[in-house]
Amino acid sequence: MAAGVAAWLPFARAAAIGWMPVAGAPMPVPPPGKHRRQEGLIMLNVSGTKFQTWRDTLERYPDTLLGSTERDFFFHEETNEYFFDRDPDIFRHILNFYRTGKLHYPRQECISAYDEELAFFGIIPEIIGDCCYEEYKDRRRENQERIQDDEDMDQTNDLVAADLSFRETMWRAFENPHTSTMALVFYYVTGFFIAVSVLANVVETVPCGPGPNRVKEVSCGDRYALAFFCLDTACVMIFTVEYLLRLLAAPSRYKFVKSVMSIIDVVAIMPYYIGLVMTDNEDVSGAFVTLRVFRVFRIFKFSRHSAGLRILGYTLKSCASELGFLLFSLTMAIIIFATVMFYAEKGSSASKFTSIPAAFWYTIVTMTTLGYGDMVPKTIMGKIFGSVCSLSGVLVIALPVPVIVSNFSRIYHQSQRAEKRRAQKKTRLARIHAVKSGGANAYLQYKQSRLLIDLDEEASKEAGQALVCKANPGFEVHHHHLLHCLEKTTNHEFVDEKTYEASYRDVTLVNQVSHSSSTSSTSSPHGLSSCCSRRKRKTFNVPNSNMSVGLQGSIQELSTIQIRDRPFTNSRSSRSSLNAKFEETVPLNCDQSYITAAVISMPTPPGTTPEGDDSTSSTNYSQANIVRVSAL
Amino acid sequence: MLSAIWETEGLQTVGIVVLVFASIKLLHLLGLISFSEDSVEDELELSAVRHRPEGLEQLEAQTRFSRKELQILYRGFKNECPSGVVNEETFKDIYSQFFPQGDASTYAHFLFNAFDTDHNGSVSFEDFVMGLSILLRGTIQEKLNWAFNLYDINKDGYITKEEMLDIMKAIYDMMGKCTYPVLKEETPRQHVEVFFQKMDKNKDGVVTIDEFIDCCQNDENIMRSMHLFENVL
Repeated sequence: MAAGVAAWLPFARAAAIGWMPVAGAPMPVPPPGKHRRQEGLIMLNVSGTKFQTWRDTLERYPDTLLGSTERDFFFHEETNEYFFDRDPDIFRHILNFYRTGKLHYPRQECISAYDEELAFFGIIPEIIGDCCYEEYKDRRRENQERIQDDEDMDQTNDLVAADLSFRETMWRAFENPHTSTMALVFYYVTGFFIAVSVLANVVETVPCGPGPNRVKEVSCGDRYALAFFCLDTACVMIFTVEYLLRLLAAPSRYKFVKSVMSIIDVVAIMPYYIGLVMTDNEDVSGAFVTLRVFRVFRIFKFSRHSAGLRILGYTLKSCASELGFLLFSLTMAIIIFATVMFYAEKGSSASKFTSIPAAFWYTIVTMTTLGYGDMVPKTIMGKIFGSVCSLSGVLVIALPVPVIVSNFSRIYHQSQRAEKRRAQKKTRLARIHAVKSGGANAYLQYKQSRLLIDLDEEASKEAGQALVCKANPGFEVHHHHLLHCLEKTTNHEFVDEKTYEASYRDVTLVNQVSHSSSTSSTSSPHGLSSCCSRRKRKTFNVPNSNMSVGLQGSIQELSTIQIRDRPFTNSRSSRSSLNAKFEETVPLNCDQSYITAAVISMPTPPGTTPEGDDSTSSTNYSQANIVRVSAL
Repeated sequence: MLSAIWETEGLQTVGIVVLVFASIKLLHLLGLISFSEDSVEDELELSAVRHRPEGLEQLEAQTRFSRKELQILYRGFKNECPSGVVNEETFKDIYSQFFPQGDASTYAHFLFNAFDTDHNGSVSFEDFVMGLSILLRGTIQEKLNWAFNLYDINKDGYITKEEMLDIMKAIYDMMGKCTYPVLKEETPRQHVEVFFQKMDKNKDGVVTIDEFIDCCQNDENIMRSMHLFENVL
């Protein structure tokens, strides 16, 4: 029931009095007249823009946010209004929906923003009025396609090389030549040979001057038959090998065999083999000659190399109905005009219009405005009809063409956009990554600074000041605390990506080196020992450990490595397994040179002092190893 | 020989006639010439009928609604009919929305005639509000009067069996097909018989206003039901 009609319910109920006198049975009791809800204005404040409406207006649709008690959650007592922190421009349309019962879609709004607002206010998009529904659906479809595109792109690019089997690698190499140099080489080689083969086909037929023993001119193909045959053989060899390789690598061979490109491949190489088989047979040589025509299909193999060709093919496929209509209307017009012309020209002597089919040729040539002039009408009527024919031909052909063109343009731009997005994606991701890792570092920074503040005012003072000042108050602090809690819960710690990768490589490398694990760990903790090592571990800094002040500011700088082993205590085992890996690693000698990746060093609290060691054993996680690995 | 000449002549004549007609049609299509005057009439439809109701004070005086109630009523009225008047089509439309299962158009037609007291084919806000005032705030006498007016289709002061049958059928139409027990053809007719038995005191085949009011006032059920919708607004 439309919203506005609800306002007429009192009228309908009143009109029911008309039934009373004829009613046979007593009427049911009316529902208790509910206490008349305050007929009042509701103030809606949407991000500062104030909207006002009657309470009843909103309550027309009780299954939406504004119409139900859900809006009470947004009631703001101080100002006695309902506050929504949403987009006021889109809210305008939503409120109009309540008022008029029709939901409109503004064309200038982004489709996803609009969808979000609708979802927030509990309105289903199907209610959108007919005037705007088509536009809405179109935009939505476009958006879906774009998202689908992106996902497909992601899927193809995210596959890590190591995960694929040989077959899959080969298939990927065929489909995306830019993935590896081998694929690129293969791509260009096949392209070259396609060009060579097509060129040879063309040159074959050029007259080359008189043959060795003859007077008549022969084509180059006959003159240098052997050379052309060898060239042809070579090309077909390459094409065959390529086809077989593709067939081998295809994930679904059946689907591959059915695909258009594979059919083109087969058609391109079949004539050669058939020719090999049926030589020396005069009867079929005619058919053989026909088969050679199919060699020209090799040119279609270029569509693998050119995106534009593919787009063209796709456009034609998608415009099939328009093309069909064009053909149909042309056929109709041709038949009509050919008939008319034939009967008009029947009277004139020596007329070329011998039959209606013969007149077809004239009609086609005239309608497409070619006008060869081999058939012309001679009578006046013929000329009149002929001119009408040519005028209408222009119209009939001009009509479906813009549709095809616009289709092509749309698809072409779509592919352009996809290309651009792919190209921009790398830089975008890199930038986002940089910002995110900046955030992660902020967290670690926070960690250090929190501990400093908590447990050692003294040590933190000089050095920690710089760090503390950087820490963002309020939201960030709570966020960091939350991450901290998570770390505690899982007994794992957050590390940078690079350090993680480095450590990953470390473990594999270090495991090969045998060493005694316990010796160094059980010994008293070293002081500041600079040592070349690739052990990295991020742990909490022992509050009483102080590093040299000079290391403070260099969060991201490469610095000398500092290893601090804590005594091998039980608390150690409570550390995360990540750290546990490194238990075996010993500080390796500086003599050994390791190529390490540049690692972002963790912010470290102010330096460590030996006397801190005693207290390390006391607190559980006061033991910390600070390892800063740097690229040397 | 002659026939050949005639053939070409004939073809040429036909061709010329066809060409002339085609060119006239083309010119007409292009809008350069027009044959009939229909195009003028389309302009008139654009000017819609608008109606503004009398002032709020006047309506307050004439009806038994308070200012606030009139405001509420008018807002609902104007929302559905921005032009200020309801024509029969819209009226039927609106009323049908309350009875989706059946066909309420016939009854809505009778209702429309009952509301359209000045019989000008459209119900303005005044008509609407007057009718509602009677129905919701009127005395029993007035309500019964109104009901009689509704049943008396030709407004001649008598309800005949045919009129009653029409009304009854219209009411039963609103029920639609899916009822329990299943609606039979003769149900409205039987109902009309029952009604006439009750109402028609002097058995002259028609019900006058006095018979009607008398009879209804003596019927407890009807009296009770008259008060049913008093708190609607």
